[in-house]
Amino acid sequence: MQHFTAESPVSASQDQVSPRNRLLIFWVILFLIPPFNLRAQQPKASEFEVKAAYLYNFGRFVQWSPAAASAKGSSFPICVFGQDPFGAILDTILSGESIDGKAVVAKRVSKAQDALDCRVLYISASEDSHLKEILAGLDKAGVLTVSDIPQFSQRGGMIQFVVVANKIRFEVNLTSAQDAGLTLSSDLLKVAVAVRRSQQSGD
Amino acid sequence: MLVSGAALLLACAAFIGYDLVSFRRAAVYNLSIQAQIAGSNAVSAILFDDPSSAEKTLSALQASPNIVSAGILTLDGRPFAAYSRNKDGKIPVLPSLAAGQDETYRFGGGAVLLVRSIVFQGKPTGTIYIQSSMEGLYARLKLYAGISAIVLAVSLLVALLISPIVQREVARPIVQLAEIAQLISRDKNYSVRAEPSNTHDEISVLVDAFNSMLTQIQERDGALRRARDELEQKVHERTSELTRANLLLTQEVAEHKRTEEALETANKELDAFSYSVSHDLRAPLRGIDGFSQALLEDYGDKLDSVGQDHLQRVRLAAQRMSTLIDDLLKLSRVTRSEMHREQLDLSAVVKAIAEELQHGAPSRNVTFVITEGLMADGDPRLLRVAIENLLGNSWKYTSAHSCARIEFGIDQSNGRPAYFIRDDGAGFDPRYSERLFGAFQRLHAMNEFPGTGIGLATVQRIIRKHGGEIWAEGEVEKGATFYFTL
Repeated sequence: MQHFTAESPVSASQDQVSPRNRLLIFWVILFLIPPFNLRAQQPKASEFEVKAAYLYNFGRFVQWSPAAASAKGSSFPICVFGQDPFGAILDTILSGESIDGKAVVAKRVSKAQDALDCRVLYISASEDSHLKEILAGLDKAGVLTVSDIPQFSQRGGMIQFVVVANKIRFEVNLTSAQDAGLTLSSDLLKVAVAVRRSQQSGD
Repeated sequence: MLVSGAALLLACAAFIGYDLVSFRRAAVYNLSIQAQIAGSNAVSAILFDDPSSAEKTLSALQASPNIVSAGILTLDGRPFAAYSRNKDGKIPVLPSLAAGQDETYRFGGGAVLLVRSIVFQGKPTGTIYIQSSMEGLYARLKLYAGISAIVLAVSLLVALLISPIVQREVARPIVQLAEIAQLISRDKNYSVRAEPSNTHDEISVLVDAFNSMLTQIQERDGALRRARDELEQKVHERTSELTRANLLLTQEVAEHKRTEEALETANKELDAFSYSVSHDLRAPLRGIDGFSQALLEDYGDKLDSVGQDHLQRVRLAAQRMSTLIDDLLKLSRVTRSEMHREQLDLSAVVKAIAEELQHGAPSRNVTFVITEGLMADGDPRLLRVAIENLLGNSWKYTSAHSCARIEFGIDQSNGRPAYFIRDDGAGFDPRYSERLFGAFQRLHAMNEFPGTGIGLATVQRIIRKHGGEIWAEGEVEKGATFYFTL
């Protein structure tokens, strides 16, 4: 996970520029500079940086049953379904990493069939309405499903991101995972906000 | 005392030191394991930013009463979660981990601080530290040191107290014994004894044994002295005896020499005398014999038988006297002549003489048994004479028997080899053996066996001249054996 150092604001010189232009430059520069924190010691990562890191880390706490792993290739694809909110962040964070000796690769998919060989699949909020079909298409495929979609874990998803006390946390649906042939480590479960053991309730 | 005290101290120090080292090592090992466990349990908490979960993990360290504080830091060194026993929340200054180092620890301030890198699936994920108090150990070590000191002091005290007793009961008697032993070996006074101990222990046994040994030594010494004195006296006696004997011997030798010289002179005189006498006696004899013969030849027919017989008798007597003189001459010649020693074959000489004798009386039946090849070292002429006499005697004294046996050989039975001539003739009475070799001594009457009695005396002279001895054995009518050495 990368950390960002805080940057101090640039003060514009006041000598050779006219007062109105000076102000304009000031505001432009201000907008161009990414948001900073006055307390330089506390670097803050963006929401999707954290989530991307979490996607990677989820993969380290999951065991694929032989049946579930049978469809997978020699790499460890972490995929994004639908509209990609991560962008280049995902690739940056995942580059060079490996899980269980398999090289981690970032992938974008738009069809359930393409996602069958994914190990971890982040389903974008854009797919909210198609969720049921997507999940059905992934049935027994051994794919760890993660999403921000509301009530994702109650709707048959495995891990749902939640925000608690300004922190990105997650809920886990153990049954969904078990049905897909995935074993989630107790270490993971103990840091989950909630662990559900319910059947897919549908939409 | 000092040495044993120092040794004891050293031993205690070694034990305590070892205890310290091993306990420290055990503490670190223990801590390391706890850090690993806690660290691996907190991994997900770190990865998913859940400090409360990490704190829960750390709080399990409460179970270890020695653990003062513990904490987890993120990869970039920020405090993530902490635990402290007395809830003061102070984070100690941590020693940094060098590159490639998983773990390090530091002892200080009565505690040990262990820092360990948390590694999950091969990737460093954070850092955990645990601080454990060493108060318990140090308290125990202090206790040990205290106990050792007390034990040391007590034992030294006891040693101090016991020392004089030991000295008195054990060391002193032994030292005394040693002194006495030295005294004895220096002065050689074996009447000294050690003071017997009244206790019935090993020391008294030693003292008693020492004393009895001394008694034995004393006795032996006395016996040795007596023996030595006796020996000295004996030696003295023997020496004086020897000196006396020596003196006597010297005297005897001197006398002997004188006698020999006298004998020598006497012999020489005698020889000269006999020689001249024989010569002088010969002349008249020749006259007697010659004229008697002439008388017989010229006027024999004028005499009657008695007269003739008388004349024959005169002749015989003269001839006999002549033979006697011849023998005497021979005898004196023997002693006067010089001796030339050479190797000769005695057997050949004997054989030759035997043949002569046989030739002289062929009718006699005599068997000669002559051992071949017997060599001797001597004067051939003289030895011939001797053999002639001996064989002649044997020949003569066996003439009474119809058949005879004369032997010549060498007899080894008495150690010294002796030649012998043996016959089975008339023999002689051994009681008169001393007279055998005397001049003019005859053991037989003239009518039994003729002879002058000079022969054996001559042989004896010859043998003696060769430095040998001659002796005879014999029995009446059973023969005689004459032995001689050269």
